[in-house]
Amino acid sequence: MKSKFQLNNAVLIIIVAALAIFPFVSDSRTWTILLTQIFIFSILAMSYDILLGYTGIVSFGHAMFFGLGAYATAIMLNHFEATLSIFFISILVGMVLAAVISFLVGLLTLRLKSHFFAMLTMAVSGLFLVLAEKWRTLTYGNDGFTFRAPEFFKDRMMFYILVLACLVLVYFFLRRFVESPLGKVLIAVRENEQRTKSLGFQTLHYKVIASVVAGVVASLAGSLYAVSLRFVNTSVLTMDITLDALLMTIIGGVGTLIGPIIGAGVIELAQHYLSGLAKEHPIFERWIIFFGIIYILAVIFFPRGIVGTIRHAYWKRKNKGGLAVSIKPTNRKAEAK
Amino acid sequence: MELIINLLINGLATGMLIFLLAAGLTLIFGLMDVLNFAHGGLFAWGAFSGVWFYGLTDSFTIAILGAILTGIVLGFITEKLIITPVYGNHIQQILITLGFMIVLSEMLKVVFGPNQIAAKTPPLLSGSWEIGDVIIIKYRLFIILIGFLVFGIFQFILKRTKIGLIVRAGVMNKEMVQALGINIKQVFLYVFMVGAGLAALGGVLMAPYSGVIYAEMGMEFAILAFIVVVIGGMGSFPGSLLAAILVGLAGSFMAYYVPALSLAVNMMLMAIVLIFRPQGLFTAKG
Repeated sequence: MKSKFQLNNAVLIIIVAALAIFPFVSDSRTWTILLTQIFIFSILAMSYDILLGYTGIVSFGHAMFFGLGAYATAIMLNHFEATLSIFFISILVGMVLAAVISFLVGLLTLRLKSHFFAMLTMAVSGLFLVLAEKWRTLTYGNDGFTFRAPEFFKDRMMFYILVLACLVLVYFFLRRFVESPLGKVLIAVRENEQRTKSLGFQTLHYKVIASVVAGVVASLAGSLYAVSLRFVNTSVLTMDITLDALLMTIIGGVGTLIGPIIGAGVIELAQHYLSGLAKEHPIFERWIIFFGIIYILAVIFFPRGIVGTIRHAYWKRKNKGGLAVSIKPTNRKAEAK
Repeated sequence: MELIINLLINGLATGMLIFLLAAGLTLIFGLMDVLNFAHGGLFAWGAFSGVWFYGLTDSFTIAILGAILTGIVLGFITEKLIITPVYGNHIQQILITLGFMIVLSEMLKVVFGPNQIAAKTPPLLSGSWEIGDVIIIKYRLFIILIGFLVFGIFQFILKRTKIGLIVRAGVMNKEMVQALGINIKQVFLYVFMVGAGLAALGGVLMAPYSGVIYAEMGMEFAILAFIVVVIGGMGSFPGSLLAAILVGLAGSFMAYYVPALSLAVNMMLMAIVLIFRPQGLFTAKG
């Protein structure tokens, strides 16, 4: 097992290094911006996967944490000086707010059955959206506002490197998280909550922890997103953000951390090209329809996603003739979805 | 006084529209154990197709019938294509019905264009009555009447007819109903189609009430309907009526007296109900 791990890490390091040099080699502004966007959404999708893939709960309110982070950063940079330290403080403020809110909402809703939870998170998130639209003195409602980013990020490359660093950090943090004993309990909750309960685990506590971790990471993604646009409006709180995260996670592969990153890449690139095609034929203006259809088909026929399917095939080949027991629970994503 | 009466009528009318949406949701959930996130899409389709039929024929009756028919057909497609393949798997159901919701609301934009569409009130129902100081808008009264009518008809079907008996028995215990030789899958399909028809009826009634229709309205109303279903108790038909009226009234009074809290009040209602009575005010068995 150990050698495989090191190989995986080596491949990861090479990819990260290649991505880090990329903006210095290529001077394509479009690509730098697109990749930054992909990294930010990768962070969001990974945080979503902690809920959907590892704990097996469907939240439709993930956008509220993303939006919280985005607004925290935007408002603080707008009201105070646009310096780097304010930027970092604002990220922390967003995270603390996200932690408090996800804790309260989780405590209230997570003991309900999956339907109710999905519905309630949707409703709470809707409440935040309305709040942001009504509280115009602070958020300027749907019109939004632009703000100055810290001087340091004038150079797109610096921001690119920062986002990439965040992505790598979050990836290793979340990997440590899901491989910890706590993460194992979450996987157990996903596989069979009733049985985990009878083993003596207070599953509600674990689910609340998962939702707080997911919320905090999503808020970081939101902060970075706001700075990347230097603009924020209520669209960061809409259902579309949650849907993006959902789609990226499902297409990439639930229950893996690499999956959401790949999913984010696929979706962002597809979005970029499909909306570019709108000039060719008006149907492409409604490209979301294709996503909806692909998404439905993926849920029925492709529930493991890209990474999950590859891993499954890999494990099947490796264990040919052997017992399937050796498959790590993390990879056994088959029926849990 | 006239203010309170007007707020009362407004609240009741909104409540009835939510009820039409929530009634289908709650029946489908109680019977099939499926929470249909695409229900709001059916509502919006009802509104758009109703306005289209009205523009075509100039008859509000035909508009209503056309919208209901659209809802029933879409309900049939949804059940066959979307619900059946993932039957019994909650997480997949939640994910897939939400996906279908997106497809439905985007299809609306493809078929009817992405802009808002204005909806006219039929001449017979427009205008208002003045009784003393109180001005009563005819159309709102009409919605309230239709709401109670629908409630009465369904309550009669559920309590007094054989099909209603099967549905009620199915809510209690599906396996037993099936063991007694009734094709429960067929019943599921019919209930789903009827629920979709009710949602579409809500949509078409909504159109002249709000004056404009847009694709996102499905989602907005669906959230209210979810709240109602939670408050009223999943699977309870009278519960959803009562909760819908409650939510409608709370919304209209709050919108007048404390506008900032008008949406929050529903959330607070729901939070209180969930803390003290997680199963809702009414239970399906009652």
